Amino acid sequence: MTEVTFKIFRYKPGVIDPPRYDTFKIEVDEQMSVLDVLEKLRINDETLTYRHSCHHGSCGTCGMLVNGKEVLACVANVLALGTTEVTVEPLRNAPLVSDLVVSMEPFFNKYAPVEMPLIRQSEYLPEGKPSEEVGSYTRYESCLECGLCLSACPVVATDPAYLGPAALAAAARVVQEPRGQDVPAILQMVDNAEGCWRCHSAMECSEVCPNDVDPGSMIMYLRQHLISDKLKHLF
Amino acid sequence: MGKPHVVIVGGGATGAALAHDLTLRGVRVTIVERGEVTSGTTGRHHGLLHSGARYAVKDQESAKECIQENMILRKIAPGTFELNNGLFVAITDEDMAYHDAFLAGLETCAIPYQEITTQEALQREPNLNPAVKAAVEVPDGTMDAMRLPLRFLATAQHNGAVIKTYTQVTKLLMKDKTVVGVRVRDHVTEKTYDIGADLVVNAAGAWSDKIAAMAGVHVPMQPSPGVLVAVYGRWNNMVLNRMHRSGDGDIILPQRTLSVIGTSSWVVKDPDQLEMKKEHIELMYKMGAMLVPAVKNAPMRAAWAAARPLIGSESGATTGRELSRTFKCFDHEDRDNVIGFVTITGGKATTARGMAEVTANVVVEKLGLDVACRTREVVLLPHTAYYRRGV
Amino acid sequence: MLAEEYKRPEPLLPKKNWERWFSVTKKGVGAWAFALHRLTGILLVLYLFLHFYVLRTLTQGAAAYDNMVQFMESPILILLEVGLVAVIIYHGLNGLRLMLMALNIGVRQHKIMFWTVIVLTVFVSLIAAILMFH
Repeated sequence: MTEVTFKIFRYKPGVIDPPRYDTFKIEVDEQMSVLDVLEKLRINDETLTYRHSCHHGSCGTCGMLVNGKEVLACVANVLALGTTEVTVEPLRNAPLVSDLVVSMEPFFNKYAPVEMPLIRQSEYLPEGKPSEEVGSYTRYESCLECGLCLSACPVVATDPAYLGPAALAAAARVVQEPRGQDVPAILQMVDNAEGCWRCHSAMECSEVCPNDVDPGSMIMYLRQHLISDKLKHLF
Repeated sequence: MGKPHVVIVGGGATGAALAHDLTLRGVRVTIVERGEVTSGTTGRHHGLLHSGARYAVKDQESAKECIQENMILRKIAPGTFELNNGLFVAITDEDMAYHDAFLAGLETCAIPYQEITTQEALQREPNLNPAVKAAVEVPDGTMDAMRLPLRFLATAQHNGAVIKTYTQVTKLLMKDKTVVGVRVRDHVTEKTYDIGADLVVNAAGAWSDKIAAMAGVHVPMQPSPGVLVAVYGRWNNMVLNRMHRSGDGDIILPQRTLSVIGTSSWVVKDPDQLEMKKEHIELMYKMGAMLVPAVKNAPMRAAWAAARPLIGSESGATTGRELSRTFKCFDHEDRDNVIGFVTITGGKATTARGMAEVTANVVVEKLGLDVACRTREVVLLPHTAYYRRGV
Repeated sequence: MLAEEYKRPEPLLPKKNWERWFSVTKKGVGAWAFALHRLTGILLVLYLFLHFYVLRTLTQGAAAYDNMVQFMESPILILLEVGLVAVIIYHGLNGLRLMLMALNIGVRQHKIMFWTVIVLTVFVSLIAAILMFH
C-alpha cells in the first residue's frame, strides 16, 4: 500500500463557484485505478460527482484529465502514474456540469448524425468479412465515444463549430465500409471548412485515444478520398 | 386530470426499461439516479445477451425468461448486439458428465441449439483449448453493457420521461401508510427538493433494500458481487462457456478488441463497498485459460467487481451461486400494507424488458389504467439519442 | 422546495482557449509540431511587415538604403537572420510534411517525419550561420 495525495477539481454551480481543488490522502494498492479511488472517496463524500459505468474501458464515460493528460479513469492505474501526487480534472472543451462531470451533448450532436452503426453484427454472416481497407479487428466499433479526442484537440479548443476527430473518424469508417449507409451524404457533411479540412494535424486525438481508433489517420484518409474524387472530376 | 406520475428510483437497466414501458402506456415518468445512468451494476455486467443456456439445468425459470427476451431484444434493438452465438464446451470428464443433462435442459427450456464437432469448434475458434471434448452452439450474443439501457432511456426520454442524474433519494415522502413522493438531493447544486408521485417504483437493484427501508419495509436483497477481468486481445468471436454448472471463471466474451473473463461470486452487505480480491483476478486467469489457453499471458486491461442484485433466501446465502437469477416484483400494498410503492429487483440485463412489462402491468393496474404493453414491438432509438435532448 | 420550483443551472460553456495552441506539456510530438508551426507562421507574418518596412527605405533614396544595409550587418542582426532562416525552413519543411499527411502519405510515420524536419532545419540553419558569419 502506498499513500497517494489526490487533488480533485470541484465545481458546483452557485455553490463551489469559482471551482477549487480538494485534497485527499488515500492508501492505494497496485491494482487500483483512478476510478477505484474516486469510488472509495465517494463513500465518505456523496457530493463528489463523476461519470462511470463499465469500469474496464469499454463504455467511454469516465474520461478525465489525470495529471493533465486525457485518460479513462477506469484503466488509469494509480501507481503506474509514477507519482504520489495525482491531480484529477474534468475534460476540456466541453460544458462543465459539476465536479468531474462534463456534458456530452455537443459531442453527440456532432457525432450522432454520422449514424455509425455497430458495423459488423456477426463475424459469420457473409457480410461479416471486413472490407479490404479495414484490417481485421482494427474496427471503428472500437470508438468508445468518450470524448478524449475532443478534449485533447487544439483546434476544438478555439473552434467550437469544428466537427471534431470522433465524428470525422466515424465518417471515414463509414466511407471505408458503408454497409448500406449513404456515403455521398456523409462526404458532403465532412467536405467543408468545419469538417475534415479544419484539422491542423496535431495528431493529439490519436495520441490520447484509449482504443487505438487513430482518428488523426482517419481524417487524413477522408482528405485523400476527397482530393482524389475532385481530381477525377477535373478530367 | 393530467397523466398519472410515477417516480422510478434507479437509472439502471431495470429503471430504463420500466420508464420506456410506462411512457408508452401514457404515464408521466421521472427517473432519479444518484450518479450517472448505468453506474451501479448495469454498466459493469458482462455484456452477454443470454440465450438462457447458462441456466438451462439448475435455474430453468431464468433460462426460459432469457431465451424469450433474447429473441425480442434482437427485434427491438437492432445494431446493439454482435450475434456470433455462444459455444458451450466440455473440457474435462466432469464437464462431459454434465453433457446429457445440459442438452435435456436446453430442450426443456426451448433454447435452440446445435451440437458441432470438436474439429469444427476448433476451426471456428482457433484459440479454444484443443482438449475440447464436446461443443454445443446456442444463440448467445454480446453487447455493450451501457448502450442497450441507453436505448431504453433515449426512447423513454423522447416520449416525455424526465431523467434526473446525480439526484439522490434521501427520503420517501409518506402520508400515513402511502408513499406520495420522494425527497431528493441534487448533487450538482447540493439543493434538496420534493418530487410528488402517484406511485414510486424502487428499481435500485442491489441498493433496493436501502430504498425500501425508507418506507419501513424490507426486501430480501442479497448483493452478490462478481469479479470480471478484461484482457487485451480478442481471443474468440463466440461467447465461450464451460459446459458445467455455472461456476467461477467459466465464461469468456469478446468485446471489441478485448476479451472479458468472468466471474466469481460472493455476497456482501453493502454494495458500495466492493473490495477487489486479488485471488479472484488470479482465479479468472487460471479458469479462463482452461477455455482459451492464450489468455494466460494476455495483459490485463482492467479488473472490476459488480454487485448482482439477487433475491436472497431468508436462510442466508454464502456465495450467491445458489440464488436464482430470476426477478421479483414486490407490491408493498399486498405485502407490507404500504400503498403507492412497488419494488422490482433481481433479474438480468437480458430480461430487463420482461421485468419492466411485469412491473408496468402492476403499476398501471394500481393507477387504474387499462393499457397494454407495447415494448415487444416498438423499436428503440439509437443510444446516441439519449445525450441529444430535444432532438 | 417542490420539483416545479427547482431548476438545475445550465452547464458552464467552455471558453475559447487560445493558449492551448502552445500548451505542449504532457503532449505528443504532433502537438510540438503543431505549436511550432503556428509560432513560426505568426513570426513569418510579422516578419513580412518588417520586410516591407525595410524596403520602404528604397523610396527614400540611396543613402537611406545604404544606412539600413549597414545596420543589418551588425552581428546581432545577422544572428536574428539565422533565426529567420530556421523559422522559414521549419515552416516550409513542416508544411511539406503536412501536405503529405493530408494526402494520407506517411500519417503513421508523422513523428519520424517531424524529427527529420527538425534535423534538416538545424542542419540548414547551421550552414546558413557559417556562410553568413564568414
